[in-house]
Amino acid sequence: MTGEIFASNVESAAGDKQMSLMVNAHSYLLTVGNRPGEVDPAHTLAFTLRETLGLTGTKVSCDKGACGGCTVLMDGKAVLSCMLLTIECGGKEITTIEGLMEPKTGALDPLQQSFIDHSAFQCGFCTPGMIMSAKALLAENPSPSEEEIKEALSGNFCRCISQYQVVEAVKAVSGKKR
Amino acid sequence: MKTFDHYDARSIDEALGLLGKHRGKARLNAGGTDLLGLLKDRVLPQYPELIVNIKTIPGLDYIEEDGERLRIGALARLCDLAGSRLLQERYGVICEAALAVAGPQIRNVATIGGNLCQDVRCWYYRYPAHLGGGMLCARKGRGPCFAVKGDNRYHAVIGAGKCFAVCPSDLAVALAALDGHMTLVSHRGERRVGVGDFFSPLRNVLEADEFVKEIDVPKASVPRLQRFLKFTLRKPIDFAVVSVAAVTEVKDGIYSDARIVIGGVAPGPFRAGKAEEELIGCEPGDAVAAQAAEAALEGARPLSKNAWKIEVARALIKRTVYR
Amino acid sequence: MGKPYRYIGKATPRRDGAEIVTGRSHFVDDLRFERLLHGKVLRSPHAHAIIRSIDSSRAESLGGVKAVLTWENIPDLRYGNPRVFRLLDPKVRYVGDAVAVIAAESEEIAREAAGLVEIDYEVLPAVFGDYEASAPGAPQLYDEFPGNVLPLGDPFLGPKSMVEIATGDVESGFSEADVIFEGKCGYDNLPNPMPMESPRVVALWGRAAEGPDAVTFWVSNQAPYLMKAVLGSILGGNVDVRVFGGPCGGSFGSKLMSWQPMCYAALLSKNTGRPVKVVYSKEEHLAAFTLRPSSRLDIKVGMKKDGTVTAIAGDWLIGTGSYSQTTQAQVAVGCGEAMLAVRCKNWNVKPRIVCTNRTASGIARGFGGQELKCALFPILSRGMAKLEIDPLDFMKKNFIRPGEGYLWRNAQWYDYRGIDFTKMMDKGAEVFGWEQKWKGWLKPTTVEGNRRIGVGVGVHGNADVGEDVSEAYVRLDGNGRVVVHSCLQEHGTGQRSNALKVVAEVFQTPLEWVSMTPADTMVNPFEFGPFGSRGTYIILGAIVRAAEDAKKKLFELAAPMLGCDASELDTADGFIWAKTAPEKRLRWQRVLFQRTVLGYGRFEPDYSLSNCLMSFVEVEVDTDTGKLTLLRVVNATDVGQIIDPQGLEGQLCGCLGTAGIDSAIFEETVLDPLSGRILNANMIDYKWRTSSELPAIENVVFETPMPTHRFHAIGVGEIATSPGPSAVLMAASNAVGVWLDGYPVTPAKILSALGKLGSAGKIKDGANGK
Repeated sequence: MTGEIFASNVESAAGDKQMSLMVNAHSYLLTVGNRPGEVDPAHTLAFTLRETLGLTGTKVSCDKGACGGCTVLMDGKAVLSCMLLTIECGGKEITTIEGLMEPKTGALDPLQQSFIDHSAFQCGFCTPGMIMSAKALLAENPSPSEEEIKEALSGNFCRCISQYQVVEAVKAVSGKKR
Repeated sequence: MKTFDHYDARSIDEALGLLGKHRGKARLNAGGTDLLGLLKDRVLPQYPELIVNIKTIPGLDYIEEDGERLRIGALARLCDLAGSRLLQERYGVICEAALAVAGPQIRNVATIGGNLCQDVRCWYYRYPAHLGGGMLCARKGRGPCFAVKGDNRYHAVIGAGKCFAVCPSDLAVALAALDGHMTLVSHRGERRVGVGDFFSPLRNVLEADEFVKEIDVPKASVPRLQRFLKFTLRKPIDFAVVSVAAVTEVKDGIYSDARIVIGGVAPGPFRAGKAEEELIGCEPGDAVAAQAAEAALEGARPLSKNAWKIEVARALIKRTVYR
Repeated sequence: MGKPYRYIGKATPRRDGAEIVTGRSHFVDDLRFERLLHGKVLRSPHAHAIIRSIDSSRAESLGGVKAVLTWENIPDLRYGNPRVFRLLDPKVRYVGDAVAVIAAESEEIAREAAGLVEIDYEVLPAVFGDYEASAPGAPQLYDEFPGNVLPLGDPFLGPKSMVEIATGDVESGFSEADVIFEGKCGYDNLPNPMPMESPRVVALWGRAAEGPDAVTFWVSNQAPYLMKAVLGSILGGNVDVRVFGGPCGGSFGSKLMSWQPMCYAALLSKNTGRPVKVVYSKEEHLAAFTLRPSSRLDIKVGMKKDGTVTAIAGDWLIGTGSYSQTTQAQVAVGCGEAMLAVRCKNWNVKPRIVCTNRTASGIARGFGGQELKCALFPILSRGMAKLEIDPLDFMKKNFIRPGEGYLWRNAQWYDYRGIDFTKMMDKGAEVFGWEQKWKGWLKPTTVEGNRRIGVGVGVHGNADVGEDVSEAYVRLDGNGRVVVHSCLQEHGTGQRSNALKVVAEVFQTPLEWVSMTPADTMVNPFEFGPFGSRGTYIILGAIVRAAEDAKKKLFELAAPMLGCDASELDTADGFIWAKTAPEKRLRWQRVLFQRTVLGYGRFEPDYSLSNCLMSFVEVEVDTDTGKLTLLRVVNATDVGQIIDPQGLEGQLCGCLGTAGIDSAIFEETVLDPLSGRILNANMIDYKWRTSSELPAIENVVFETPMPTHRFHAIGVGEIATSPGPSAVLMAASNAVGVWLDGYPVTPAKILSALGKLGSAGKIKDGANGK
């Protein structure tokens, strides 16, 4: 590996290339490399979140950007973490399902509570991705119409067909603050 | 994914330098929504040794008009296109096409340059290596086009040669209907290529050391009717089975100009010149739209399972031209 | 009318809800193991070939590779029905068949190593079509199955499992008919159950406590005890198998076919002494795991003017792909389900199962019955049309009623002791507006330019609601809390939460006082698992019995303390009192001081009941593009007693996904006709229902008490997918005005039926580009 390859990332005193990744308002300093615990240039954000940082709430299903299971927020927008290289996410603010709870009290986000109230899941594997997509929508449009909710969730697969109850759960918190 | 070296380019020159240095073994990465899939499934005949991130090049995501043209930087994201007031007001087909791509999460990262440069969706070409090995085909430089004797329900009905994969880009269809051009940069200089001419049956015309910098569209002198329709089995996620972009001008009650471009039927956006001829000089109406639809794919030679696409294309043309 | 229950029938939050919505639900891939290795499968590029030689030395020498297993260096492990299918075989039988499995320090290294294994194949001719497979001279997949025909019958179902539908005398039946017609129909598009979470497992061989011949699995599955039984029988009697069932990201039956990845992980773990994880990629899931069986029916039917079916005779061809695990059982159950839905005194339908060079078929929601009926109803429709019989009337007339009976999977006759479902069918029709929308056969409901609307109806019932055995313990602790010991696995139906509700109902305790052991085979009694809608009747039935047993024992202990007979006692909220003297209350803790009370419950199979679901569908067809849009679905059912309204709603809305209604609209597995490769093994090309295209769904639910357990409920979740596909085919035919008889109803099929593809559609292969 040539010196210039990671020129844009920080070089530590030891000569390791490092990058900082901001996840759920916490800044992680990660070493770029291919040893365990490091970020290989080929690692996806989903991989880093799950395997390097232990944030397994983000689910990987198709791993090809077609199912929405790995949806996280990047600078507030819903993105697919399986189709992003971690090394290209430096300087971005990432929010995962683990970042939705009130950090001090551990209280659930009203959207999470609404999913429970509406039983808006069956097996639950798609749920973190669904919630993150809905979260991005509500941040941009706090009072979406039913059509807008369905459109915002249109990239999120659910095989059990929880979507009817998901739409109700999102509707129930739309128009409310936070 | 198998590992590679990675570099965040700060300028087009820097990116070009790396492309030159790695001689076809470096790939540019913008949104990554196509490239990562190709890498994960080991589709490319040659796995890249270097990925050059071009999202770090500043100032390439503009959407603006100057005196003569609309100019869009290659890194403008599809969500930016869809949300642009300027485009909504004057270049509606671009917004419609951008909104028709994939799902919301993809549109939040995918770029216009990437949408135009993305690889084809042919299911033979894309057959994943870890399911018994990829399929070597004409497009990969060796082998037949498996679609010809295989399941070709989504393949080309016109204009194909050694490879029957169709152009997967929705933006290409809209931009071709607006007479859009792409500016390609290399160390040899810049060249402009019409969006329709960017595609050819086996690959696009982008050289291994070239960089798509900008897409431009002539400003309209008169108000135009614009419409983009995309036919898929499902509204989100899917690539176009057939899409149509129609841009027409009506003066004194008759069509004075028309550009009708069909996607999903050919290796590139297919300009339906015969359909345009049917329209020009005629009064808008159902009958002339039907004639245009009938003429649009004259000369099409469907394979065993894709004749239905011609019928779909006709329906879409009728609906885009007049409704 | 107010419900007499405290929890049952009321919406209560799922017990696992908070974990699910916070991402703390630990699915298999979320579990962390020290020194974990990653297993990968090297898959065959050929549909049919003999492995002449394998050289894995280069793969083994790659840094980080810990084991490479091939058929040459593992025991000859076999499974399936019959038990002839080898885990790793010197012959490969589909593109994607396993050739070698590799364990390495990372998934990427394992994948890289797979590319280094050198194999010399002798390629054999392959056969992909079910009819072609049984034609003379067809390539033979197995020496054991001449003509590629598998034996019928599943020993698991008993000495005499159902291998045909044969009752009465079809010749005399035909002689009574007003009309006799023949028909062929296939439900052969091989949809994939495709749960979101692909098959995955972690295995650890050898544990200090249990000795060297013990293996523990953490596996995404639907029934830990069945997996324990299956793996035990494959690995050999002296291997102690323990299976953990944690949260499962969907199964729909399919994950019961996980013996291969489980064995790969187990053998790799045995070889390396480390835990090994095998996670199938979505591509492997779609191309190298399990599909619905294909089903083709070719029958002759006799029918009377009043809709009485006098005789059905003919052949049922079932394609199982490269091997069978449960296909014979699906055939047995499917035959019974046909008899539940179509009253007919004279049957002679002969199933035949063939194998071909594609990935295997197996369990999918609808287990055999959906496959058979999706082919049967379109044929019956032709007769109804000849006689101008409304299909709703036909289905009402012919669905099982008290006083009748049927043969079930074990080839035994059962007298039906359930309810008459006519009322709920009528209500469903009323909600749907059937009378207004039904215009007759091949007649659209409305036509507006190129948009034509058509309606259809389907029905399904299943006597699996009472299949197999469940056991449970209910333990009362000194602290007054209740613990349910059951190997009931949560795979999305909410049944674990329902179990807590019924137990809280029995004891009248706060819901949160009741909890359940993890679905671990080591700590729980036998549980067949939540299949075939059996959870509500049999599993909850066993748990209710265990709770009642514990309550009885509690009262027996409390009676002397309260100076009365146990039969006089009552309890709620942790207190016990005599009904005659409610003011004198005793705390459970007093009774349970330094003591555990354990109740036991067991439920035996009961095949004398059936559930029933009728689905009405309304579709719109665009005659210009051929596109079919599902506008509306009305499901009507009777569940005896709702346990959880939201959970039930979810199960019924599930009619669309999991290879259900959408298998008539866009779901299919596309096989390359030349190579046998599955071309759409990804989630873009394999179509699934998205949020932005949800039809309106209304679920009409009746609660007529059923003779099941004390809460009178019956399960219905499994069959949600089954009535819909043939209803869509019927609706599409009516919209278009032409019989459509293939699934899915693609735009190309509709355009072709409308005669719009004319000469262009007939151009032969390869005409383009010349």
